[in-house]
Amino acid sequence: MSLDSRKASNLSRKDSTARIDDGRRRLLKAAGLGGALAAVAGGTLLSAPTSAMQTRARIVIVGAGAAGIAAANRLARGLDGAAITIIDRRQRHLYQPGLTLVATGIWKPGKVVDRNDRYLPQSVNWIQDHVAEFDPEANRVVTTAGRVVPYDYLLVTTGLKIDFDAIEGMSPELIGRESIGCVYDNPEHAERTWQMIDQYTAAGGVGLFTRGPGGIKCAGAPLKVTMLTEDIARQRSTRRSLEMVYNSPGAGLFSQPDTNEFLKQEFPERDIAINWHHRLKGIEPEAHRATFATPEGDVRIDYDFIHVVPPMRAPDALGNSPLAWQEGGFADDGNWMEVDQFSMRHQRYGNVFGAGDCVGTPIGKTAASVKAQVPVAVDNMINTIRDRETVARYDGYTSCPLITGRGRGILVEFDYALNMVPSFPFISPYREHWVPWVMKDRMLQPAYNAMLRGRI
Amino acid sequence: MAFSFFGILAVLLETIRPWLGLIVTVLAVDIVLTAWLWASRRSWSSARRPALLAGALVGVVTFFLAPWLTSARFSDLSGLLDWLSIVGGSVAVALLVAILLWPLMTALFGKRDRT
Repeated sequence: MSLDSRKASNLSRKDSTARIDDGRRRLLKAAGLGGALAAVAGGTLLSAPTSAMQTRARIVIVGAGAAGIAAANRLARGLDGAAITIIDRRQRHLYQPGLTLVATGIWKPGKVVDRNDRYLPQSVNWIQDHVAEFDPEANRVVTTAGRVVPYDYLLVTTGLKIDFDAIEGMSPELIGRESIGCVYDNPEHAERTWQMIDQYTAAGGVGLFTRGPGGIKCAGAPLKVTMLTEDIARQRSTRRSLEMVYNSPGAGLFSQPDTNEFLKQEFPERDIAINWHHRLKGIEPEAHRATFATPEGDVRIDYDFIHVVPPMRAPDALGNSPLAWQEGGFADDGNWMEVDQFSMRHQRYGNVFGAGDCVGTPIGKTAASVKAQVPVAVDNMINTIRDRETVARYDGYTSCPLITGRGRGILVEFDYALNMVPSFPFISPYREHWVPWVMKDRMLQPAYNAMLRGRI
Repeated sequence: MAFSFFGILAVLLETIRPWLGLIVTVLAVDIVLTAWLWASRRSWSSARRPALLAGALVGVVTFFLAPWLTSARFSDLSGLLDWLSIVGGSVAVALLVAILLWPLMTALFGKRDRT
């Protein structure tokens, strides 16, 4: 072998080695980056608080729904030495934003069922009972079993009561019978509602869609059920046999004006008639007849399917307690809990805070509102324990992935001023897209679980 | 409502939580394979093309299946946002699969380095 060819061979070998080394370096870099990401990710899941406040305060949280569990996790991390107690009999945790998808046959009911113990921190004492009495003068609550639980600070997150009794002739047992559906409350109701919608979209006839007056949780749900039912019938080519009527108790369809205008155009375009000022007052299940209170007097309408959305109110123990609004719109509407709408602190009892569906605020009975309210309530409670000013503010943020059909929707986010406040500026809140549907179908439940763990 | 970096990370972790066992297994296999390939001085570059081809194939399949996997149809896609999302998502899946398959492809097709 000549000198030149040996040199060339050596150079070629060096090139090859250099290429391999370069490849290894890149792999190591990637592995390093992956390791760093995993460390950060692990840290996010397992991190201990860096500045937990030392306190011996007794904190009671009433209600282990989304707000209660998220608050328990945040308080457990933010406080060191506090005696935190959560009171709720329910062991089952329901992902309520998914009920619309169960009621329209898109999800199986099991997908929305979880367990509270998976999310509650071990340091929190869980009393499996319901609160029967709030006694804020004595700083204590009493459970249905008669157990007296004193507190220094109280967080009320009871959720709300769906008032089926407010509709004459209606009871939860009727859901799934006599062509009656109701998306709210639990997966059993939602599944039975799907059976009714399934039958209705196959057989056709008159479908009445209703909405309870006043504050209701997930106010988009009655609209989504209406539009998804219409979409299902269209897919099945039975749409022409359906006469669909949406009955609004007031003069609008949605509180956010732009979305309201969109829906007022969308419904007629999809041949969904709208009855304004029609509040469901009574139902005759066997006759398949509904009675609506209107400004012109009661109106009776026969139906082949009805989606019943009752009024909602604070649970009796809370609504009848001194913690409820004593007068004004929030008292008349549903005996909601009195809080300052920005600080989430009770206006008359300074050591009491509220979050979630039970509070009387102008808007905000959604899981998205809980995500925004809980950090405010928790921060302000911790600052109160520290004897500092409560500076955290809830701006009324709420969100509704308004599903207009299977596979598309609009991501609507707004605040107290009813201004759109999109989290992702590239997603238009004025136009139907597939992406909001994917978020609803795939991303919001993980986001909800992260919220329960107090991570977002 | 703005999401912090850690907030987004927390949501992503909750998204993959049901498949965490599978993900850890795949990563463990990849790490073991990588260590073995490194020790046996295999050439990584010769397996790059098959890994990219496999990734591209999975990416194309993802593109066509994505609407169906989300209970939607192609007719539900509307505007630049949706199309960029589905194309971007498919490309991301393709790259991820290519990276994960690279060690396996190196084991199958990589030539032994003679140095």
